[in-house]
Amino acid sequence: MAKVVITGLGLVTPVGTGLKKSWESFIQGRDGANEMKSFDTSLYKVHRSCEVKDFQLDVELENQIIENTIHKYVYYAAREAMRESGLMDDRNSDRERFGIAIGTLAAELTPFERLLRKDTSLKNNGFDKIVAAVYPPNSITSILAKYFNFEGPAMISLNACSSGNHAIAWAYDRLMDNKLDVAMVGGGDMIPQTEFTHFHNLKALAPDKCQPFDKNRKGLMIGEGAGILIMERYEYAKKRGATIIAEMAGYGLSCDGFHMTAPHPEGDGAVKCMSDALKMAKINPLDIGYINAHGTGTPHNDKTETAAIKRVFGGRAYKIPCSSTKSMIGHLMGAASAVESVICCLVLRHGIIPPTINYETPDPECDLDIVPNVAREVKVSRIVNNSFAFGGNNATTIFSKLE
Amino acid sequence: MKKRVVITGMGAVSPLGNTKEEFWNGLVGGKSGIAPMVSLDLSSYKSKLGGEIRDLQPEIHLGKKGLRYLNKGTLFLGSATKMALDDSKLPQDGSLEDRIGIVIGSSLGNFSETTDYFYEIIRGNPSELSPMLSYDVALNSSINYVSVIFKVKGPVRTVSAGFTSSLNAIEDASRMIQNGMAKVMIAGGVEQISIDLYLIFYLRKYLSGIKGGLEISAPFDIQRNGFIMAEGSYIIILEELQHALERGAVIYGEIKGFGNTYIGGKNYSTLERVSSVEKAMQEALRNAAIKKEDLDCMSANASGCKIQDPIEANAIQFLYGEDVKHIPISAIKSNVGESYGTAGAAQLVSTVMSINTGIIPHIINHAEKEPENNLNLVLGKPLQKKINHAIINNMDYEGNNMCMVVSRFA
Repeated sequence: MAKVVITGLGLVTPVGTGLKKSWESFIQGRDGANEMKSFDTSLYKVHRSCEVKDFQLDVELENQIIENTIHKYVYYAAREAMRESGLMDDRNSDRERFGIAIGTLAAELTPFERLLRKDTSLKNNGFDKIVAAVYPPNSITSILAKYFNFEGPAMISLNACSSGNHAIAWAYDRLMDNKLDVAMVGGGDMIPQTEFTHFHNLKALAPDKCQPFDKNRKGLMIGEGAGILIMERYEYAKKRGATIIAEMAGYGLSCDGFHMTAPHPEGDGAVKCMSDALKMAKINPLDIGYINAHGTGTPHNDKTETAAIKRVFGGRAYKIPCSSTKSMIGHLMGAASAVESVICCLVLRHGIIPPTINYETPDPECDLDIVPNVAREVKVSRIVNNSFAFGGNNATTIFSKLE
Repeated sequence: MKKRVVITGMGAVSPLGNTKEEFWNGLVGGKSGIAPMVSLDLSSYKSKLGGEIRDLQPEIHLGKKGLRYLNKGTLFLGSATKMALDDSKLPQDGSLEDRIGIVIGSSLGNFSETTDYFYEIIRGNPSELSPMLSYDVALNSSINYVSVIFKVKGPVRTVSAGFTSSLNAIEDASRMIQNGMAKVMIAGGVEQISIDLYLIFYLRKYLSGIKGGLEISAPFDIQRNGFIMAEGSYIIILEELQHALERGAVIYGEIKGFGNTYIGGKNYSTLERVSSVEKAMQEALRNAAIKKEDLDCMSANASGCKIQDPIEANAIQFLYGEDVKHIPISAIKSNVGESYGTAGAAQLVSTVMSINTGIIPHIINHAEKEPENNLNLVLGKPLQKKINHAIINNMDYEGNNMCMVVSRFA
């Protein structure tokens, strides 16, 4: 029976650059929120977000593109994941069977904004200078292909906040079909003012902290960063003696087909996507030991997601720890579900569940075991990772210990 | 045993007209959809031609309500999707539930709408901008609209892979049907001309006429000097064979196989690039279990690019050797220009029309081949030929090569 496994992980998050720093912060329950530094928020009602701090790329890269863009986060996480997988210096593989799938919400918007902000007259006079700095989204895969010597199919997943899980699903299909041996998957995003304004004007932003499942939750906080996973055919990983971190057991995709920004009130799409993922993974819902919730901290999402989880898991729902790591790092948009997939793999590795921080007041409509404020040691071998994007675009992935 | 995937509906919003019939009649009539651009002020730039969408009446397809909030790309995609669904005679009332999904290719998605929104932000008070304006600020906004309008509840995905985005999307959608994730998939691509995109191409010196001189969309021709950018949306309804048979659908063709190679990022030699394209064609043939001798025609990627056209021509010559004269080759970018992320879907619609009519459209704007080019280009007038199997080439400047084989349903 064909299987897909994870052999490398990489992270850049608002609570730490690199796996080690990020993970320490997760289990300590550190809040990554800060006063917005990358642009002036004086005209807004909200002034905070979760920015990546102290990030430095410690190598000199020949290509200038990587300097100012989301490429640097993605590159960093990819390099960390490649090193862990042992494929960095591998010379025996057929690189035409190495594919790439990366999710992003905004791609190259941030450098574009930065230039235009510097000199607004550029819009009418010298606009071409700005556009010269903008690369099409698939330049991300080109950069990765170049630096890590991947020569197989490559795609960018533009699926808003479920982009990362879509990228993982894309790779899973091609690995299961034996079209690829290895896939570098994940997501990356920075915080563009455009998206900040968008969420702000939809009144979706929390003013100072993200409080998923709390009765007084006020919204999401935007975050930035990148998460990368190296996925492989199990047979391939075994043959080359790789250390296997987890099995990618299956996924589910669905669409609400309902509204541009609001989720379906009964969570129909979310139910379908979790159920389909369990079915594909051939896992009994009773065996799920942890759910990494989409848990954005908006009144709508958390209520609907709670209801959907109860519909899928029945009475057992109350016994499954279900935390939102967005309470610490914010909503990383196109990178969110990729980063959360990395977190799921780390939970399997360490047997510790990161908490939902900033939890103060229980909400009867969000009454699952959300692992409030303090990390918890558990025995867990099967994990559900939810992502439900605007537009009702849902994607769930499942990770388990290799048996 | 993998499920078979057939084509049961098509829709087109093209520079040649806003139905698949007008698109097809334009191609076989040797018409050009290229004209001086009216949607952009290009007075200070040398390349002024484009394949723009003209006179689209989206209200016919989507109703009047809420139309003013929809951006250009969404109107293209929504209209083409509606026509394709009408053509397929599938129900549109949501009764397909999660048995229908969408995968759309788009190189930049709604990037220009997103940047438009940013101009509004820095011009005034961002807090006062209407939330209605911000519906377009995700790169996949257009597909979200379409999923809501047509109540799609299966898998929904936007794929960006540069110029090959739409064939990547069609491959993805076919795979979803083969793996049993959906019975019906809406697949294809959408692109809209914007000043952002124009400048991205202009600054990279891709456009024809950029160094002065003739502005022309002339694939495989000695006078070619770049491509002419175009926009539009081409949608194909893919359906699992059994599902189509049970409802008595008209079947236009069958998706047989894909080949995808990638040599992005590196400074590969011309020869390596040629061999990568050839390999993509071979993989598509192998995947389709069809011999190259069985192909009846080829839809070329050729867009008039100085460097890419000969790479493709050489790859075809390598693949066929002496027999290259036996395969007639069309290049519809001579008529509609380079619509990048939806170009492959346009070629697929044209190729499926060829299968169903027995006509291969001819290449226009063609004066003379490169001397070393031995290809059997369809020139002067359309070629009548029964077509059982056809191959489509789609290439990206970043090194993604995508080929697919489509066949008569038998």
